Amino acid sequence: MKKYTLTALLLAAAGFAGTAAQADKLDDIISSGKLRCAVVLDFPPMGMRDENNEPIGFDVDYCNDLAAALGVEAEIVETPFPERIPALMSNRVDVGVASTSDTLERAKTVGFSIPYFAFEMVVTAAEGTDITSFESMKGHTVGAVAGTYEAIALEEYVNEWGDGSEFRPYQTQADVFLALAQGQLDATVSTSTVAQANVKSGNFGGIEVVASAPFDIDYVGLFAKRDEYGFLNYLDLFVNQQIRTGRYDELYEKWVGGDVPSLTVPGAYR
Amino acid sequence: MFDTALSANDLVFLAKGAGITIVVTAISVVIGTILGIIFGVIRVQLGAVLSAPLTLFLDIFRSVPLLIQLVLANAFVGMVLQLQLSGFFVACMVLSLYTSAYCAEIVRGGIDAVPTVTRRAARSLGMSWGQDMRYIVMPLATRVALPSWIGLALGVMKDSALVYVVQVTELLKSTQILITRLQEPLFLLLICGAFYFIISFPLARFGGYLEKRWSND
Repeated sequence: MKKYTLTALLLAAAGFAGTAAQADKLDDIISSGKLRCAVVLDFPPMGMRDENNEPIGFDVDYCNDLAAALGVEAEIVETPFPERIPALMSNRVDVGVASTSDTLERAKTVGFSIPYFAFEMVVTAAEGTDITSFESMKGHTVGAVAGTYEAIALEEYVNEWGDGSEFRPYQTQADVFLALAQGQLDATVSTSTVAQANVKSGNFGGIEVVASAPFDIDYVGLFAKRDEYGFLNYLDLFVNQQIRTGRYDELYEKWVGGDVPSLTVPGAYR
Repeated sequence: MFDTALSANDLVFLAKGAGITIVVTAISVVIGTILGIIFGVIRVQLGAVLSAPLTLFLDIFRSVPLLIQLVLANAFVGMVLQLQLSGFFVACMVLSLYTSAYCAEIVRGGIDAVPTVTRRAARSLGMSWGQDMRYIVMPLATRVALPSWIGLALGVMKDSALVYVVQVTELLKSTQILITRLQEPLFLLLICGAFYFIISFPLARFGGYLEKRWSND
């Protein structure tokens, strides 16, 4: 009995697969009238929830913009970080708008659009210090969250600088900004979104984002099934249009604030 | 001394989650019980050898963790069948079959508990198989099976917390959403536990009441 059920299911599956190959993803989305986006909702300010527990954030707005461009309704599907790509592969979402770094390893599984956002490392300094750039941190006491990429890189710089420079590791991001506000630290390096959120929160007085740090920039792209060229092509143009029309700047100002990071890599196409 | 950012709005949000938990549980327990009775009777009637394929099928549902069943069923529906079923539908489907697998065992145990001599006596009085099942086996077996069935229903209600993996925002998932936003895990889990208690307590008491009433006749 089980065997027959399985055979019937496989036959049915073959039938469905046959019909599904006719129209591509872009057609499917438009005809279904619904765009399902994978969004990470515990990653402020990219994705979070408001006081009514409705999804908000940069990625949520970006998904809504994409749906509006396609003329369909957006559906936000909450996916934790490790669930983003499985959700796409099991056809629970059409596109990932989930701050996903466009690594070559991931690109073996899914197709990425051109970058739609970039996480830069920035220098946040206490007011009253003469720190205006990354290099001017030389000779100062600096700190970061122990074990993070930026802490390891910063400590290397500090060891190289010598000359009164000191590095202090902290357990959490909040500890770092507290130390900065209390004058135990002169400056710190962190992700731009984190720095801006802490400056804006008003919990830490007398600190400001002063410059970007010369560390690797984390570019993130939208992603869809890698064989859906029509849809991926559309996503590339959509990201381009968001920047061209000033919508990207607008959303960056709304959710992050500060200098808008460039999404192009100097000296390279795409 | 005690300070929380939890608003009335959030309590309504939790209550909605609790509502989903109740609906998923109710659907799964009703369908699961009906299927369970059918499967249980088939197993008893056909005997061990003839019902072996069914037994194997039910054993799969009993031995594979529910979480894995949900993820696999959801992936199967999406990838192989290419159907866009809602997570709610998949959750009810899997949970119903899961319930039916356990319920079949309870039903089988209940029927086996009815003395063979009693059933033979019924048949020698000229009762048909249907009459024997309806008037002799059902009343006796139900009394034996009820406590386990109540236990199963309560268990399924708590197991329904796992359906969050197929994007169903039930009670536990609602709590997790609030924990992410408000960062008050212990307080919120306490409230979540209270909600679960409020839902399961009446069912447990109702089971106790039936047991008591039926044992006095």
